[in-house]
Amino acid sequence: MLSRIAEAMFWIGRYVERAEATTRLLVEHHQLLVEDTRLDPTVGAEAMLGPLGLMPGGPGQPGHPEAEAPEEPVTPAALVRLVVGDTADPSTILGSVGAARENARTIREALPGDMFERMNATHLRLQAGISTVIPGIPLRGLLDELAVVTGIIEWQMPRDEGLVFVRLGSALERLDMTCRLLDIDHDGLWPQAGAATTLRAAGGLNPFLRTQRGLSGDQVEGFLVLDPTFPRSMLQCATRAERAVRQMATYVSPQRTSTLLRTVGILRAELEFASVDATPADLALLRERTREAAFVASDAVAAAFFRQAGTIVWSH
Amino acid sequence: MAEPQERGLIAGMRPWDEMIDARGGVRPGRERLVAALDDLGPEGLRARARLRDAHLSAQGITFTLSGRERPLPMDLVPRIVDAAEWQVIEAGVAQRIRALEMFLDDVYGAGEILRDHVIPRRLVTSSAHFHREAHGVRPANGVRIHVAGVDLVRDDEGTFRVLEDNLRCPSGVSYVLENRRTLSHVVPELFTGYRLRGVEEYPARLLGALLAAAPAGVAEPTVVVLTPGVHNSAHFEHAFLARRMGVELVEGRDLFCRDGVVRMRTTRGSEPVHVIYRRIDDDYLDPVHFRPDSVLGVPGILNAARAGAVTIANGVGNGVADDKAVYPYVPTIVRYYLGEEPVLPNVQTYDLRDPDVRAHVLPRLDGMVVKPVDGSGGYGIVVGSRASDEELAAAATAIEADPRQWIAQPIVALSTSPTLVDGGELAPRHLDLRPFAVNDGQRVWVLPGGLTRVALVEGSLVVNSSQGGGSKDTWVLDTGDDEPLPPLEPELVIDDPGPTFSAAQLRAAGEGRARVDQPLVHTERMRQQEEQQQQSGLGDAPC
Repeated sequence: MLSRIAEAMFWIGRYVERAEATTRLLVEHHQLLVEDTRLDPTVGAEAMLGPLGLMPGGPGQPGHPEAEAPEEPVTPAALVRLVVGDTADPSTILGSVGAARENARTIREALPGDMFERMNATHLRLQAGISTVIPGIPLRGLLDELAVVTGIIEWQMPRDEGLVFVRLGSALERLDMTCRLLDIDHDGLWPQAGAATTLRAAGGLNPFLRTQRGLSGDQVEGFLVLDPTFPRSMLQCATRAERAVRQMATYVSPQRTSTLLRTVGILRAELEFASVDATPADLALLRERTREAAFVASDAVAAAFFRQAGTIVWSH
Repeated sequence: MAEPQERGLIAGMRPWDEMIDARGGVRPGRERLVAALDDLGPEGLRARARLRDAHLSAQGITFTLSGRERPLPMDLVPRIVDAAEWQVIEAGVAQRIRALEMFLDDVYGAGEILRDHVIPRRLVTSSAHFHREAHGVRPANGVRIHVAGVDLVRDDEGTFRVLEDNLRCPSGVSYVLENRRTLSHVVPELFTGYRLRGVEEYPARLLGALLAAAPAGVAEPTVVVLTPGVHNSAHFEHAFLARRMGVELVEGRDLFCRDGVVRMRTTRGSEPVHVIYRRIDDDYLDPVHFRPDSVLGVPGILNAARAGAVTIANGVGNGVADDKAVYPYVPTIVRYYLGEEPVLPNVQTYDLRDPDVRAHVLPRLDGMVVKPVDGSGGYGIVVGSRASDEELAAAATAIEADPRQWIAQPIVALSTSPTLVDGGELAPRHLDLRPFAVNDGQRVWVLPGGLTRVALVEGSLVVNSSQGGGSKDTWVLDTGDDEPLPPLEPELVIDDPGPTFSAAQLRAAGEGRARVDQPLVHTERMRQQEEQQQQSGLGDAPC
């Protein structure tokens, strides 16, 4: 498979996953802001923007590096506007949908059925705008549409190299998004409903309740990091990433994938063999390891497969 | 359409409105809500009502009526209960449940209240829900009323009164939780400026109470919710509670008794069950003791409970305490066991077994509500002010034939609240309130708010969902007495990320929140390519 196509596949996996996770998070976080007003809504809204890297004036955002305070307090409506965002910023929902669509456009012929058309239509609908007053309904609609895209990937893509790259992208992005979700610390900010919101944002409230007694922030973190069966837990994502990487390793010489394989394999092992009575400090450390490993692995996959030695880049 | 003509006592009564006072002003605490509704306007409200309907249908938040699933109509206008009002309700409901627990323990045990002639023995033994089979069943932590729903109405002076106690399978709590989520989803504007008591902790409280009720000596009790099945009107709620507690939803056929232990059939063989939150009536629970034709129940389950191997929640035979003929005695029961005055008054109720009382009541039926003592769901109720002469005569005949089966109460002009009606207008509709109480044996916890049911038909006083009733989200205002939460502290990034990666990699990742994105160089090159592709294709004109 052409490196260019593999790379687009990888990024489709990442951006579709990012759009989905961010959307789900926004729906639940916004609903919590509306329902539980014990916390200053500005503090509540900003709590989500920071971990998503969308804080006005924050790193990578307009206003940086002056690091001045945002001029206006972030209202729940402003939160929706900032997180839905625009096509230029791939950290936002619109940006990640747009980036997925852009990648799909470049490899349209290599994609199954009407996958590009689906993404294109979704992107267009999203560009037309989302109500910042009642965002829940259109955002849930968006989740449905993204589920269709995921369904096409899972059911129609040939079981070949392309799918392996999509899956790796999706697994790495999911690791990253689960880190960010836990960074928001809903439980610390909303002691009553926060922990449940974290789980809902991961689609995990019911799976959690079926396996655990009680509902505390520490338990939720343990679940999202270490649960062996929940599809968004870091352990599950690392396991899937490792499976994809082992598959990829058969395409090229062993040296090319050694960093990638080692990074992902060590992460999976650290998560799989973590102590059953991991303390909150242990979990925090595992989260940091996960964040770094996802970061390094993303770079390693590019080095191994996308940026190949001998590529001549002209500079003017 | 002609208005049903009001007659009798209610004609001159002006109901209490929860939002608008007698002079037409907005009651304190409701101003923001009224303003937010005004901003939406009839057009906006109609649009939101359509969103709500679509949402409720899609979410499958339904109840089943006559075999058809339908969404429980939820009004867009919430009902507000002030913090001070709520304190009274909370205290009154908890008090009542404590007293009724003691009453049940007594009548299924020593029977002191009967020996002291505080309650007529015949009244208890003639109750259809007094089960001798339950005599001597000692619940593990002394609790029989794990969950109660106490129906309250508000009279024309604004006083909350208890209309009835539901101590068997009170339903509706799932709609309390879903209503809050639906309302904040569909009309978030209404919440602006209000600080509300949350309702989300209910499933955890219920599970806590069920675990506390487990037979002694079981380290990790297994709790299940027992449903009659998918055709039951409250099946949505049964599934909801099982989901939100994270326990199995079982039907009778999933369970069996062996050697005095209740077990459930699973793919890995059978597993013992310790606490059964049953949403099946006593009559169907155990064909060994009750209806032998029941296919919903579990043969032998009552013997297992008596042997202390399993806890049945709510307790078997609770119906004797919420029998409508026992209801007039509840204030006496409160005084007898607790030595306290009831916090929440009853609605005046006539005991029709007394011929003198009958002589007083029967000529005045047009100002009374007549109810069968063991009915529920609003079936069989005759509202005198809206009944025809023939219906009143039929009721009188039925009472004379079997007075123990009926009670009569003067009509209470149920309070009203503005409610969205067809066309996007707001109009007053009558409501009641069903707070839910959970007893874990240590304390009786009352879910803030409860289910507000609203009679959607103009002037109607019957709020039951089976009779065209809807519901409202119920807001208990939070006084904010509890400490405000500390402001958000900036989160520390852990400095020691371990030795696995190179220093450069760590620096890159150490920011923590830096995004990994498709390299810009790449897209920059693509842009160049794009330009060149366009230029090189100039000669390739579409034909």
